[in-house]
Amino acid sequence: MKGDHLGEFEEFTLLAVRALGDNTYAVPIQQYVEKVTGRPISIGSIYAALGRLEEKGFLRSSMSEAIAQRGGKAKRVYTVTASGLRTARDLHRVRERIWKTIAEEGRS
Amino acid sequence: MTPPARLPRPARWLLRLLPMPRDARAEVRADLHELFENRQRDRGRFAAHWRLYHDLASLLFAPRPADRVSGSRSTVAFVRDAGADLRYAVRLFARQPAILVMTIVGLSLGLGIATAAFSIMNVAALRGEGLVDPDRAPGVLKTTDRSTSTTWTYDEFLHLREGSTRMQVEAVLTDAAQVRTTTARTTAADADAPSAGVAFVSGGFFAATGGRVSAGRPLEAADEKHAGPPPVVVSFVFWTSSLNSDPEAVGRTIRIGRTDATIVGVAERGFSVPGNRRLWLPLTAYGAVYDPAQITRTPDMDVQVFGRLLPAVSIPEAEAQLGGVTAALPGGGPAGELPLRARLDPHAGLGRASAADALAITVPVFVVIGLVLLLACANVATVLISTAITREREMGVRAALGASRWRIIRQLVTEGLALAAIAAAIGLMFARWGIPMIGTMIEAPAGTDLVPDLNVYLFLAIVTLVTGVAAGLAPAWHGRGADLVTPLKGGEGARQNRVAPRRLRSLLVITQAAVSVLLIVMAALFVRATFRAATIDVGFDATRLYAVSPGLGDPFAGAGAAISNFWPRAISELQAVPGIAAVTLAEPTPFAGTSRTSLTRDEPTRVVHFNGTRAEYFETIGLRILAGRSYTRDEVAAKAPVALVSQSVARAYWPDQSPLGQLLPPEIPVPALTGSPARPVIIGVVADVITARLHERNTFAVYEPLDPASERFAQLLIRVAPGATGAIDQASQRLRSIDPLANVRITSVAALLREETGRPRVLAILAGIVGAVAIVLCVIGLYGLTASVVRQRTREMGVRVALGAEPRDLLRLLMWDSLKPVVIGLAIGTAAAQIAGRILTDILFGVSPQDPVALGGAAMILLGAAALAVLVPTRRAAAVDPAFVLRQS
Repeated sequence: MKGDHLGEFEEFTLLAVRALGDNTYAVPIQQYVEKVTGRPISIGSIYAALGRLEEKGFLRSSMSEAIAQRGGKAKRVYTVTASGLRTARDLHRVRERIWKTIAEEGRS
Repeated sequence: MTPPARLPRPARWLLRLLPMPRDARAEVRADLHELFENRQRDRGRFAAHWRLYHDLASLLFAPRPADRVSGSRSTVAFVRDAGADLRYAVRLFARQPAILVMTIVGLSLGLGIATAAFSIMNVAALRGEGLVDPDRAPGVLKTTDRSTSTTWTYDEFLHLREGSTRMQVEAVLTDAAQVRTTTARTTAADADAPSAGVAFVSGGFFAATGGRVSAGRPLEAADEKHAGPPPVVVSFVFWTSSLNSDPEAVGRTIRIGRTDATIVGVAERGFSVPGNRRLWLPLTAYGAVYDPAQITRTPDMDVQVFGRLLPAVSIPEAEAQLGGVTAALPGGGPAGELPLRARLDPHAGLGRASAADALAITVPVFVVIGLVLLLACANVATVLISTAITREREMGVRAALGASRWRIIRQLVTEGLALAAIAAAIGLMFARWGIPMIGTMIEAPAGTDLVPDLNVYLFLAIVTLVTGVAAGLAPAWHGRGADLVTPLKGGEGARQNRVAPRRLRSLLVITQAAVSVLLIVMAALFVRATFRAATIDVGFDATRLYAVSPGLGDPFAGAGAAISNFWPRAISELQAVPGIAAVTLAEPTPFAGTSRTSLTRDEPTRVVHFNGTRAEYFETIGLRILAGRSYTRDEVAAKAPVALVSQSVARAYWPDQSPLGQLLPPEIPVPALTGSPARPVIIGVVADVITARLHERNTFAVYEPLDPASERFAQLLIRVAPGATGAIDQASQRLRSIDPLANVRITSVAALLREETGRPRVLAILAGIVGAVAIVLCVIGLYGLTASVVRQRTREMGVRVALGAEPRDLLRLLMWDSLKPVVIGLAIGTAAAQIAGRILTDILFGVSPQDPVALGGAAMILLGAAALAVLVPTRRAAAVDPAFVLRQS
């Protein structure tokens, strides 16, 4: 069930965490994914994806210090793990290889 | 950043429902808040709200994986589990549609009957008439040292009202006679125009009773001085039935008796004080309704007085104050010298008498409701238990996978509730369809509002809940103490040791059998009583005999003179009609309401019926005079102290001698109405006849000349000659021509007699239907149970056969095991029927509760049905192939 497979949405979420710089949290992630994909993303699906990525060991989370914003509430911040980064790169490489083949055969 | 606006309230509520630990929820809340603010800033309020609820929905249905394992409970999780239980129940029942249908049919019949019975009782006993706080609305009784009267004259009432300072004193005159009302759709000449019960009330009546109106206004004090057509408030039932729920009803004019009346208000649904009234008019309109000559008021009118205590006034205080007023009344007492007092009696207030009557209905109806529900519940439990036996393996798997006992019980209760809910919906349809039929059967007074109200729905909801939970708990109780391992192994051994569940199963079967037998015995007794009633010889020919009531108003309240004047004209008109053989006046006429009866001091107590008649009475109803003579017209006119007695009276008091010339024995009190102080001399003996209360078969009767003063209470009796056609139509026309507005009613005495004999038939039908349902339920339950029990014992049967048992032996063994509880139930039910029969002895027309035909028949039906239900699965089990069974294990 777990393994290191990465779904499309999980991949977006993982990359968003990386793109936003580590120690980011759910709200900016949701806004980022929504912006880049151009489709409405619910916060629930972001939580679900973050949860799954954490279970698979691609993300690490910790509670931040309470800050004045958000009514003084602490927030859970996420960082991409080495294994997460590796898997994302592997995935990217696989895609590039396939695209390269397509380009060589002139079908793009 | 803008000051932190809070999340919208509904969102906060939803958030609380989220199945997650508190700290996680706080975090989610902060996230949602931030998103909401950002979106509100970037894309406006609407988009922000829309996305907020979208997010909440996503959280409800796709919770974070981490939370799923956290094990926290919440309302949503509970609902989700219940939903899963329900889906599972649906799948389970879809696999066994027969069981589903059986259970639902049984339960819906039970719930339907219970609901119908309850709603009738609700109308009869619980709903009341709408009198607010009856304990503070006592009746005002007129007492002297010698007598107590419930009525006062109108003038006395006016004095009471003026003088009373501690309570609001009001009066009401309820008319015994019905008044014909005419709306725009019917014309005055229309003979079928509806009659309605009318109450004439004082101005503050609505204020004192707490009666409210749903349209227009109630009657007020100013209405007593109305000019022109009197104002009238119509009841909700009258408004719906006679006025077609006309929204413009207020202001319309309807004709009531002899006057037009303007509708000023429509009373709230459920208000019918006193005693199922449909129209309320001011007391001052009484004359106008019955006699246009008396437009204002009739001072000799007798009214019932009641009061509404002012706040913080006790009954003794108000009574003392009213006593002073009474003492100062002009004229003092009826004889002038007896001191007159007013007594306040909360139990003599409006609507109290009917409540006492209703209690007599309540108890048997509650018993029926209880029995039917018990039956339905026992049946559903039996069916669910028999499925539970086959589901033991499933329960074992669930428990082994970690389902708590509570969780399994919840699954079973959910199933029970789902079944009960479906059954309740069907049962409600049954009830709505059956209520008017039952209403007709029990002779509910016309205009009774039988439509189920909130009470009925509440009752159904509670009963459904209880039934569903009970039906679900029974198999759970049955399955308690089950071990997990044996069912998983597929073994059969564990069940042999469990005694308690078997006892429960037997108990359910016993209950069903007992209730079925009780109902069937009652039905059989009623059927026998119906035949018995039809064969009772009343002693005279009721066919072609008709009773006439004039419908001129209440003889107690001023209409007496009109009625007394009506009779001579009516008699001379009728005697001129060809085909009418005889006409007479009598009070009472056969089977017309209650006759005055009197208890003698003899043992056993006897009831003597008094009949005030004219000389032609005996000829008219065809009563043979066995000895002596009838009284003459002159004796009637002179109120001579003479009497005829029935043969039974003669035999009881003068066994060895002729009663002729004797005085009526002092044990038989003569009603005061005859007026004469002398004890009547017996001048004749007539044959025994039954003229009232068929089931009592009482033939003790005394016939006396009808006092002219009580002619206003009398009815006409008409004997039509054999072969004459159209005589009654003609009679009716002639009577109407005397007074076109008199509400003349001609009733066939034969029809009244049929009504009397029909009473046990109604009960026979009712008990028969319920009894048939009971048998069907019992057979269904028994079949299902036997089938599953026998299936369990297949292995045992295999072993028995292998050891040399004959299939015949097996059959006997299984049959006896299954039928034993039925036999016990039969015994209990028979005993219960004995008690019930003794209680209902009045309407059984002398059929003994030990009637062998009824008891034997019921036992045969039940045993036959039960044997069939048991035989089918048992035969299958007895025909078991031992080799096959033993190889299986």
